[in-house]
Amino acid sequence: MTRRAATSRRQFLQTGLAASAAVAAPGRLTAQSAPAAAKTIRAVMHGDLTVLDPIWTTANMSAYHGAMLYDTLFGIDANLDTKPQMVTKWGASDDQKTWTFELRDGLKFTDGSPVTTDDVIASLKRWAARDGAGQHMMQRVTDIAKKDDKTFQFILKEPYGYLVDALGKTSTPLCYIMRKKEAETNPMEKITAYVGSGPFIFNETETRQGVRYVYDRNPNYVPRAEPASGLAGGKVAKVDRIIFENMADSQTALAALQAGEIDFYETPPIDLIGQLEGDSNLTLEVLNKTGNIGWLRMNFLHPPFNNVDARRAMLYLLDQEDFMKATFGNAKYYKKCPSNFGCGVPMENDANTGWFKEAPNPAKAKEFLQKSGYKGEPILLMQATNIDFMRNAADLVAGALRSIGANVQVASSDWGGVVNRRAVKAPPDQGGWNLFITWADGNAVSNPIALAGHAATGEKAWFGWPSDAKNEELRDKWAVAGSLAEKQNIARELQENAWNFVPHVWLGQWVAPTARRKNLTGMLAVPGVVPFWNVQKA
Amino acid sequence: MLAFIIRRLFSTLLVMGLVGIFIFLLLHLSPGDPAAIIAGDNATPAQIEAIRTSLGLNDPLHAQFGRWALRVLNGDLGISIFSNVPVATLIAQRVWPTISLALTTIVLAVVLALAAGVLAAWKAGSLLDRLVMILSVVGFSVPVFVVGYLLIYVFAISLRWLPVQGYTPLSEGLWPWASHLILPSLALGLAYVALIARITRTAMLDVLAEDYMRTARAKGVATGPMLFKHALKSAGVPIVTVIGIGIALLIGGVVITETVFNLPGIGRLVVDAISKRDYPIIQGVILLFSGVYVIINLLVDLSYTLLDPRIRY
Repeated sequence: MTRRAATSRRQFLQTGLAASAAVAAPGRLTAQSAPAAAKTIRAVMHGDLTVLDPIWTTANMSAYHGAMLYDTLFGIDANLDTKPQMVTKWGASDDQKTWTFELRDGLKFTDGSPVTTDDVIASLKRWAARDGAGQHMMQRVTDIAKKDDKTFQFILKEPYGYLVDALGKTSTPLCYIMRKKEAETNPMEKITAYVGSGPFIFNETETRQGVRYVYDRNPNYVPRAEPASGLAGGKVAKVDRIIFENMADSQTALAALQAGEIDFYETPPIDLIGQLEGDSNLTLEVLNKTGNIGWLRMNFLHPPFNNVDARRAMLYLLDQEDFMKATFGNAKYYKKCPSNFGCGVPMENDANTGWFKEAPNPAKAKEFLQKSGYKGEPILLMQATNIDFMRNAADLVAGALRSIGANVQVASSDWGGVVNRRAVKAPPDQGGWNLFITWADGNAVSNPIALAGHAATGEKAWFGWPSDAKNEELRDKWAVAGSLAEKQNIARELQENAWNFVPHVWLGQWVAPTARRKNLTGMLAVPGVVPFWNVQKA
Repeated sequence: MLAFIIRRLFSTLLVMGLVGIFIFLLLHLSPGDPAAIIAGDNATPAQIEAIRTSLGLNDPLHAQFGRWALRVLNGDLGISIFSNVPVATLIAQRVWPTISLALTTIVLAVVLALAAGVLAAWKAGSLLDRLVMILSVVGFSVPVFVVGYLLIYVFAISLRWLPVQGYTPLSEGLWPWASHLILPSLALGLAYVALIARITRTAMLDVLAEDYMRTARAKGVATGPMLFKHALKSAGVPIVTVIGIGIALLIGGVVITETVFNLPGIGRLVVDAISKRDYPIIQGVILLFSGVYVIINLLVDLSYTLLDPRIRY
């Protein structure tokens, strides 16, 4: 060992202090001017905004982001009716095969360039390449043609009654209009510039990925003259800045709301609602009236659920009340619903719901399971343990199946693990599965085209891969139907057929109240998106 | 000593290399698919597959590892799968809250723990000693998040003295910065205080029983200098070792504390990345943490030479 001059304690301390001063130096040296607190709304939404391209993903947070900075051709109002938004005039030819749309005056992107049909057509094509309803629509489209800078046409092979509704739907991805430059990005790749023509501008300088997302009022936005209603009407931004704070911990978000550090909390935990109801500074309100629907998905590729009788057994076995009580407790926020399109929506109906009146009927369920030829083979149920509803529901499904003699194996993981495994088509003992639980947005469920899970196209279908030719024939028929009454009749037929071949089992429908400070007014009720235009802060 | 430092720095590179291989394999062999998470729940299997291909996740594992390792060797930690932002940029954006929290916690914990441990040893067997030991057991037993929620309830919601959550950079003022760090530092530091206080007490008891301490007392050395100048320095090696080991505890605690107090630090970054399976971020941050940990151990080893003149490298 070589002896060297030792560092003195004083030098040691000096070095330490210098290092401390260096690391405590300001992280951001240039402060930017920020609007006053009264003109800024801080909101905690249901999750982090991980993808900034709202066409590339079906994640709801990306749709929220999209609604802030992009506009749509049509939007649904508070009554779920489709209304024009960027469009001023539209109509169909007598044979219903040519639809003409004219953009309204004053539409501009935030870079100052006008919105033209070139932008619209490119956006429509990219959206249609990613969206299930868009793909369904494009199968009937011969061309989307530009007539002039403000007018374009859909040329169809056959009449398609769902066209305008598809353009204004709120199930993800929504049909947002981007600049041609971004819209021409390969649909399989994400856009990298975020310039819209909506009521807010995305402030990338102030945004910190995973921390906060900042939107400033678009001073050049020209709103429609009608009053705001859902995603329709005038989108008037009444505050200067909206900040989506990413707060992972619900207790912290709740405490921040109570202390006035945030103004809005989209998804306070249901078990803490009682605590919030007693706070005179807060308002609780359900904005998404159609809520969510819990969902048991069965794998059509492998026994026993490749047999319709095993699937029917599940209809009779499970009681939605159990699933709702286990997670949501307060009956004010949930209901049992037998309709294949959810309840409280235009397509709700009671066709072929005899099973619902009987369930739970374990004896009948057992009878159906035996009839399916089930001989006690392991049934692999995937359980996401990090999401309350999924964890509780999987325990209940496992218990109910065991009560009728089924051999259930619960494969527990986090949701990421379930998402990974559910894509495996191999038999359960080779990495596949038989059952998993999830939920879907009630508004998407209400639409036979918008919800990928309604398709029964076999190996091309959503996980579980149900196959039923009649279902597909009826979905096509529904999409081309012209009137609401006609659609409702077809929805009955679809449901009649669905509860015969049983593509899935609903586990109940619930709504989640949002919580906000009392000084925040003008929140708009609409499924799928939480709009922040029309909102004021006193 | 220079040769020792160079040897240790080389071993740091080796450790980081092994950590890199281990974490890469662990992430890619465990369940979870970022493509499915990106696509969202309503996406079809075909859409998810397309995203997997576009992200290169369908390439053989060795090809994916080769690409990543090459980038790291060139000083590039990669790009977030979700946000397209370089991992180095994300870390740079998040590093200050974490450093601020870690430093305030270490300073707070070391000051409190040394004082408590020295006093407990000096008054061994007294009520004060028992109180310090009871508090140490409590501090070590109660989880960080429980302490965090209690502090939030008392000081932020009931008394309204301090903010519930968030971080303000030092550039916006000393008090705004400090006020956002007091509760997180207390929550995170409690277990650390307990650990150091117990070790300090034990080490001090040994030293105080030495003949030279009795001689010092007999020669009339005042209590303060005797405890803090002579005894504490002699007891320093195990204490500094525990402080170093405690950094690992701190790194784990930072992840939870940043979540509870919504501090936009590196802990939150990695937790969010794990839930999304954002591989480049997880790999980058863990590589960074491993490097920091190895370097802290090196500094601890070097500090021994200041505390004990018999130790030389």
